Amino acid sequence: MNIVVAIKHIPSIADDLPVKGNNVDFDSVDFVLNEWDEHSIEQAVLIKEAVGGTVTVIGVDLIGELDNALHLALAKGADKVVKITADDPAADSHMQAKWLSEAIKGMGADMVFAGVQASNDLDGQIGPMIAAYLDMPYIGGVSSIEANGDSATVNKEFAGGAGAKYSVHMPFVAGVQSAPKPPRYAPVSKVRQMAQSATVEKVAPSGDASSGLAFKKMAPPVVTGHAEMIEGSSKEVAAKIVELLKSKGLA
Amino acid sequence: MSNDILVITEHMDGKFSDVSFEMVGKAKELASALGGQAVAVVVGGGVSSNVFASDSTIHVDDAALSNFNPEAYGKVIEALVKEKSPKVVMFGWTVTGMDIAAWLSARTGAPLAAYAKDVRVEGGGIVVSSQAYGGKLMADVAPEGDMAIVACLAGSFPVEAGQGSTAATTMASPVDAGSLKVKFVEAIKPAGGDVDITAQAKLVSIGRGIGGKENVELAEELAKALGATVSASRPVVDAGWLPRTRQVGKSGLKVKPKLYLMLGISGAPEHLEGMKSAELIIAVNTDKKAPIFNVAHYGATADLFEVAEAMLELL
Amino acid sequence: MLTTIEKIIFIVLAITAAGFTFHGFKVIIDSIRKGRPAPELKDVPGSLVKAAIAVLFQQTIFKARKVLSAIHMGLFFGLITYAVVNLVDVLEGLVPGFELVYGGVHLPNAPTGLINAFNLIADVMSGFLLIAITTFLVRRFIVKDKALTFRDNVLLNPKVKAGGQARDSLTVGVFVIMHVGARLMSQAFRLTEGADPFMPIASFLNSIFGASETGVHVAWWISLGWVMFIIPYLSRSKHTHFFMSPVNLGLAKQNPRGQLDPAIPLKVIEGQKYDPGAKVIYDLAWTRVMDAYACVQCNRCQDVCPANFYQRPLSPSALEVNKRYLLKEATFGSHPEKLLLPLTETVISPEAVWSCTTCYACVRVCPVGNEPMADIVDIRRRMLIDGYEIDSGVQNALQSLATNGNWMSKGKRLRGRWAKEMEFPVKNATEEPVEHLWFVGDTASFDERVIPNTKMVARLFNQGGLDFGIMYQNESNSGNDVRRVGEEGLFEQLVEQNMAAFGKAQFKQIVTTDPHSFNTLKNEYPQFGGTFEVKHYTVTLLKLIEEGKLTIKNKLSNYKVTFHDPCYLGRYNGGFTAPRKLLELLGVEFVEMPRNCENSFCCGAGGGQIWMGKVAPGERPAENRIKEALTTFGEGANAKTQLFIVTCPKDMVMYSDAVKTTGNEGKIEVRDIIQLVAEAVGVEMPLEAEAVAA
Repeated sequence: MNIVVAIKHIPSIADDLPVKGNNVDFDSVDFVLNEWDEHSIEQAVLIKEAVGGTVTVIGVDLIGELDNALHLALAKGADKVVKITADDPAADSHMQAKWLSEAIKGMGADMVFAGVQASNDLDGQIGPMIAAYLDMPYIGGVSSIEANGDSATVNKEFAGGAGAKYSVHMPFVAGVQSAPKPPRYAPVSKVRQMAQSATVEKVAPSGDASSGLAFKKMAPPVVTGHAEMIEGSSKEVAAKIVELLKSKGLA
Repeated sequence: MSNDILVITEHMDGKFSDVSFEMVGKAKELASALGGQAVAVVVGGGVSSNVFASDSTIHVDDAALSNFNPEAYGKVIEALVKEKSPKVVMFGWTVTGMDIAAWLSARTGAPLAAYAKDVRVEGGGIVVSSQAYGGKLMADVAPEGDMAIVACLAGSFPVEAGQGSTAATTMASPVDAGSLKVKFVEAIKPAGGDVDITAQAKLVSIGRGIGGKENVELAEELAKALGATVSASRPVVDAGWLPRTRQVGKSGLKVKPKLYLMLGISGAPEHLEGMKSAELIIAVNTDKKAPIFNVAHYGATADLFEVAEAMLELL
Repeated sequence: MLTTIEKIIFIVLAITAAGFTFHGFKVIIDSIRKGRPAPELKDVPGSLVKAAIAVLFQQTIFKARKVLSAIHMGLFFGLITYAVVNLVDVLEGLVPGFELVYGGVHLPNAPTGLINAFNLIADVMSGFLLIAITTFLVRRFIVKDKALTFRDNVLLNPKVKAGGQARDSLTVGVFVIMHVGARLMSQAFRLTEGADPFMPIASFLNSIFGASETGVHVAWWISLGWVMFIIPYLSRSKHTHFFMSPVNLGLAKQNPRGQLDPAIPLKVIEGQKYDPGAKVIYDLAWTRVMDAYACVQCNRCQDVCPANFYQRPLSPSALEVNKRYLLKEATFGSHPEKLLLPLTETVISPEAVWSCTTCYACVRVCPVGNEPMADIVDIRRRMLIDGYEIDSGVQNALQSLATNGNWMSKGKRLRGRWAKEMEFPVKNATEEPVEHLWFVGDTASFDERVIPNTKMVARLFNQGGLDFGIMYQNESNSGNDVRRVGEEGLFEQLVEQNMAAFGKAQFKQIVTTDPHSFNTLKNEYPQFGGTFEVKHYTVTLLKLIEEGKLTIKNKLSNYKVTFHDPCYLGRYNGGFTAPRKLLELLGVEFVEMPRNCENSFCCGAGGGQIWMGKVAPGERPAENRIKEALTTFGEGANAKTQLFIVTCPKDMVMYSDAVKTTGNEGKIEVRDIIQLVAEAVGVEMPLEAEAVAA
């Protein structure tokens, strides 16, 4: 089984995001791996462990700091890692999806996984776009994938545990919502070992696409309302909440 | 090339989702400003399609499409879009719409503005206000070109404006079901035996702040004392600490309880989508800048464990 | 004295016994040598001499159980005496004409005084020995002291469960009674001329049984024939303690307490490849394989273990006991394959491994220099590498530490947010030179409940004219607890990040508010090239007050306080005096809890426990500690406000919680020492600034 996982390096939203002009000030933010990508990597490694094969993780290196995420993927069980050296922190999803598809094209992938979404998907997620560019079917919101021969059984989630089971003929692209098991922890020593021993294949960006969106403004949301804050120690907060609930007949 | 607005509605188990009506209402407003028509598009069988206030409704009615299939639905919509050349195609930014909107954008070259909270007409074109970076920022974007795709967050517009009874024009599916690579096998029902959180009057909802699955018990105890049920945000469920049936939000369930007590949920837009119409929202979070405090009725910057334990003593 | 045939029998017995004993110790030494290289020991002869002195004066056992320790002392001196007595007795039996012990008539030139003294000592020591051993047997078999048992949830070797230890104790106990009793009888039977004032016990026995030549022979044989069986037995029982504990003490850890052994030996044997940490018993350093042979299974470590108190399945002594039985089954028994079983199946359960708070109390209290805690950390290290599914809370914390440099899933740039809210500028030490680089730590930087105290420290430093700065987003978690959770790689990464940040900064010394950071910065960073002076803020504050840079305006005589020594400040680093001195200067009424300083009781948050879920039912260590404080304050009305003073952000969180869960609000309040200093000194803070800060 030849699985390719396309990942996204995105500005961390654990911090406040400063704005410069009409976009994020990319020089003043930290880039992290999209959290859903951890699930798609886990899903790929689980399939590899079940039926064998290789897992290739590929991403666009926007600021020259993607290596750590790739070494992490290796430590978790990926076999090969590739980075597309773009050096363009503002590259949108269309652009990244195009570069990724051009790089994935020759890999002979049976399945391509991507995180179902990312917090900077304003112009759409890379998964469905890679599918479109590679002319493969796409299925997103996926919570489990089992490979059997040249097709896979894929569970897609709708809501609250409801979903549907699909049989998808390979090759295809899946947007992973969550892996059947929580992503494993990779000890840092293993990651560092990978950093020393593994080679990250470098690919120059090829192809061109654009979101076609003109940014007119970007700013923190205008806050329309704010909760009435309950002050005091935890004990006081608890007492006030209980009092409030009792007054409304809710406790 | 027309100035029409195509609204891709969505339905499940014979019912249209609220966002479908919301978009139709918005589409009418945009269509009248642009001088086009608001066209509701219904894909799939087994649903009564004359429920919209659209200028017209197209129903691609085919038994093979009765269950959602991203590949089939995508191809049907692509064919329709090519035929109609609308100005705007509207999707819900939902578990189904998300499968198709970006794919269609890449197929057609039409720009996509996702996470849309608002769409307005400016200088003959449209401007979309979208949430970006988990709600930390709002972006105003203008799509370039002849056609734009807009994917709207549920709950952004009123439902009523889209409700009506426009009769649908039925057409056959242009897609050969036999050629599809994605095949629907069966529906997965929620795991039996678990409570239906949408039917609960009180929910104690936990987020990433709960820290680990060992701590879920504390929330269970508090819920028990309040006569409530425990629900959760996505990270908690993805981590396997609670079953899917308990997830509130975009990829979970929409709830409208009398009480929604939030412990350690910062309030990502996807979560807000699922609970913002709760009657009483109380949020406890250690981060005083958590976005949830912009939505909750009452808030406290405190340690959720301490508050929960103190509440347990008082109840 | 003996007949020729008796002599031949005895010599054959003795040679056989020597053979078995030699074999026994060879097996033990071979097994110890199979352990990994240990950190280099300096001046081994010197250490051994020091240990010998400690053993001779029984210094290390008096750290706990004073009465039993005194009895142990009697037993020890008795056995030492008996080593000489036995030698003399053997010579008497074998060498014609050699009679040192009774009357001294046959040994040429032996002064009577020496002989009398020898007889007296031997006689009295026999009494001591009998009393001591009887006490220990009564304690174990009649009183059934609970301290000698294990919790049901603790993993035990099946042979221990089946009573192996008790059988061992009984065997040796009965031996000692028979041996000493027979020896006393043999002396009694010799007293043909009646009572000897230098042998009171033997004389008493003589008055009952009289003298008998045959009796002397029989008693001699019972006394010394036994020894020939028991000596080889000792090498196969827990009583290897007699021989191995002085050696083990002499070769005990020399590095600072706060410096963990590396995950992979620094000095490796050529051609050997090591995985980090320990999976099987010989993955442990040889000094810690030896621990099992030194341990006499007294369970003192279990007494002081906070996890054991909290009813978790952890007992440090069970760990050593299980190691001992495992080694015995594999080296003396027929199960060498057991050596390849994971330690988590044979000596300690995974749940117990993850219950340890790394408080060091077990290592500190151990009279023979054992380090069960170090074994646990090594086992954690390997579990992490082997992909064992760890607690989800710990995993979250580690993931955040790897990504954000803090365990609280906060963005790096938010670390200095509290400082930007201050009414005066807080210097960025990575941008301008400062005298004191304040290493703030995660909890004090991000936890909204602790930030007011953090700001108070800043205000007092500022008011005292201290030239200080923080490293803002350049600071990462120090890695102290990360290392103790077993994530060595992440620890190294954090050290490198901090070392890079220190490299950008110019400073004279580091001051920390967190004892955990203090410990690793002081004791472990030097191994990574970080040799700087590190001070805890209590020391810095004390200096500011003593130098008159901060003046105490209000004496706080309305407070009655007690002080909790944080493990990583106190037991690990001896920081006992500064906080106590500060409290004295503040004018509070100070009372000491029974468990203080070295013997302080852990709050339960260390070693990564703070990241884990609150799983176990039952009284938590912190709750027990609050009760201890209240008992110390005494019952009855107290006009003064009773305070529980802490000097660690984790303690603030743990004990505030414990006061609530024990329902003692109103009776006792938890305060950081900084709050008292601020109150006594009077913080100059503009009102509007206070509003901003709040």
